[in-house]
Amino acid sequence: MTTRRLRLARPTLAALDAVANRVYGWRWNPIYQSGTVAVVTLLVLLATGLYLLLVYRLGAPFASVERITQDLWLGRWLRSLHRYASDAFVIAAVVHAWRMLAQRRSWGPRTLAWVSGGVVLAAGLVEAWTGFVMVWDAFAERLAREGARLFDALPIFSEPLSRIFAGEVAVPSAFFFVNLFVHIGLPLGLGVGLWLHVSRLARPTLLPPRTLSWAVVAALTVAAIVWPAPLADAADPLRLAVATPINLATAWWLPWSEQLPPLTVFALATVVALAFLLVPSLTARARTGMLAPSVVDPRLCTGCNQCPQDCPWEAITMVARTDDRPTLVALVDPALCVSCGICAGSCAPMGVGPVGSSGRDQLDAIRLSTVPALRVSSDAPIPSNVVFCCAEAPASHREALRARGALVREVRCAGNLHSSAVELALRGGAPGVMVFACPPRDCAGREGPKWLGERLFNEREAELQPRVDRRRVRVGTMAGGDLRGTLQAFDDFARDVATLAPLPVSGDQDVTQDCVTSADAGGRE
Amino acid sequence: MITARTVIRAVVALAVTAAGLAALAAASAVRLPWHGANTAALRLSWSAHPERIEVCRALSKAEVEARNEHMRQRVECDGKAATYALRVRVDGALLGDEVVQGGGLRHDRPMHLLQSYAVSPGVRRIQLEFSRRERASDDSLRGAAAVPDADTGIFAGRAAREASERGRLTRAAVPPRLTLDTAITFAPQQVVLVTFDPDGRRLVLRVDTASRRVP
Ligand code: SF4
Ligand code: SF4
Repeated sequence: MTTRRLRLARPTLAALDAVANRVYGWRWNPIYQSGTVAVVTLLVLLATGLYLLLVYRLGAPFASVERITQDLWLGRWLRSLHRYASDAFVIAAVVHAWRMLAQRRSWGPRTLAWVSGGVVLAAGLVEAWTGFVMVWDAFAERLAREGARLFDALPIFSEPLSRIFAGEVAVPSAFFFVNLFVHIGLPLGLGVGLWLHVSRLARPTLLPPRTLSWAVVAALTVAAIVWPAPLADAADPLRLAVATPINLATAWWLPWSEQLPPLTVFALATVVALAFLLVPSLTARARTGMLAPSVVDPRLCTGCNQCPQDCPWEAITMVARTDDRPTLVALVDPALCVSCGICAGSCAPMGVGPVGSSGRDQLDAIRLSTVPALRVSSDAPIPSNVVFCCAEAPASHREALRARGALVREVRCAGNLHSSAVELALRGGAPGVMVFACPPRDCAGREGPKWLGERLFNEREAELQPRVDRRRVRVGTMAGGDLRGTLQAFDDFARDVATLAPLPVSGDQDVTQDCVTSADAGGRE
Repeated sequence: MITARTVIRAVVALAVTAAGLAALAAASAVRLPWHGANTAALRLSWSAHPERIEVCRALSKAEVEARNEHMRQRVECDGKAATYALRVRVDGALLGDEVVQGGGLRHDRPMHLLQSYAVSPGVRRIQLEFSRRERASDDSLRGAAAVPDADTGIFAGRAAREASERGRLTRAAVPPRLTLDTAITFAPQQVVLVTFDPDGRRLVLRVDTASRRVP
């Protein structure tokens, strides 16, 4: 059942991504950036929260918020911005979690990120709760009463918390103080949660591109100015409000909670929390085949220290060798390895990579299927260009490229592709090689497009050899919903390659050896 | 280069963003019904110490002397906290009939009462009775004063101190019986609060400005 739902989640996400790509383009697709957009909203919350804190009065909570709201030039929109940023945080965090779940990126070494992300999201909801209560309007009273009702069912307090709101006396400042304390203290915990969330990553990306960050801030600000957040009537324990405004993004649980006995609410919350915590084990898959952890062949490893630098998950360390060679040797920790294959593209002598995806495996596959196909195509009036694309790329795009005569080959991730594979395809007779990577923020291996570009064009180990004509190699982005962009990029490339003189077919026998020699030279430097 | 396609795309992106933001703002201001439109409530809320029901026994001189000097008490009491019956009638109809007892495992901590009853707006007769469930004969507080021995020696002044302490505890506790019988106009959406006034040792009404007592 769970697996079937997950199978449905993937195409749903792909469809949504495709729509967002059409509307915003893959560079600005906010769904790809949901995790980092959540961080931007947190920063907005921090900045606006500091101002609100300065003008908030514990002794007169509603009056102070009312005064803020009456300040048309600053207070009103800052308060609204604070509100909408908290809504946007919850939405972005939920989308991010759903994305990770649909892409099956929620288990194994990613378990810590999944669990800490869930805790951060839950803390965000509690934070929103306490924030609403600070206002002390009718909605705040409603939330406070519900919270008190739930807590009163637990054997914690000798005196029911609900009596605070009975109306015998004014709600004491101590209540607002504790609420404020939690509201200020929780972000510290939230910071720790975020740190844990990214602690396994080598180079965590915390923010979206600057333009998108400011676009998010600007959009929320416009919303805050155009549609100021509502302020209900002041809380009055001796009045029964007929209705209150409710914030659906952060207090969606309230209508359900109010209808249920407290213990049922706690039981449901526990079930949801447990289900969330169980996701890593429910979605875990056997670590065989494509999902087997990377391995190092110590005979090939020259100790160049490149793969530990490129691994996005810090799963590789350099350790002492057991033989008498003077270098260190790479060692993969299977518990940290997510089998992304990025390391396979980083190793000049092709000594590391997930089983079946190392550089040598890639060359074997090209020799076996691509080179013979290129030989056939070389007799055609227009020889085929080779396209390498990520296994996650949309099938419709791959088909469209095939229909245009390209020899399409899949790799686990564009960052997995070894530069020697590109060279081999050219030597095998391809007039040009185009590599389509996923949009950078949609890369399941996190850094595939980045390292691919660096290796092919900026001499990062394992670099494309200088002898290879760069005009025959190009990197493009294949984004769902942007078939036109994919085909346009390929057509441009094919047109440019067609203007170049034909390449002599030079065979492939030297490619592997060249790489080993080059890595040895690098290791000696 | 700016093409017609770029412009259309930008317009669509702006429109979608605006719609998303409008949805965000709308979701922040959805009206959710809470209490019925034409309703009122009678709320009971107070905290008070339950009385302590004790069975006291004066020790004989021999019994007192058999004890360590610092343990010598002339009166030994065994007791429990009283429990109370709460009955609430509105226009004669019984809305609440329950037992109230003190907090804590032994129920000897203060009792905290919080009850709410929905009432239709209009003039309503409220009858409330909060009375101790244990019989008066269980109460042996007065027996404590009937200590036969002279108030001398190490017991000097002690009888007075014990009597005063018992008096303080009695005054701190809720009276054995509290009643309220009154008529009040409930305005729509109004909450009438009944609470215990520890100084006057009686139940009192708290109403907001929209209410008025019927003379
Ligand atoms: S990149 Fe290859 S040669 Fe370099 S340390 Fe890693 S496994 Fe060894
Ligand atoms: S496959 Fe390689 S790069 Fe990816 S996590 Fe494992 S060791 Fe690191």
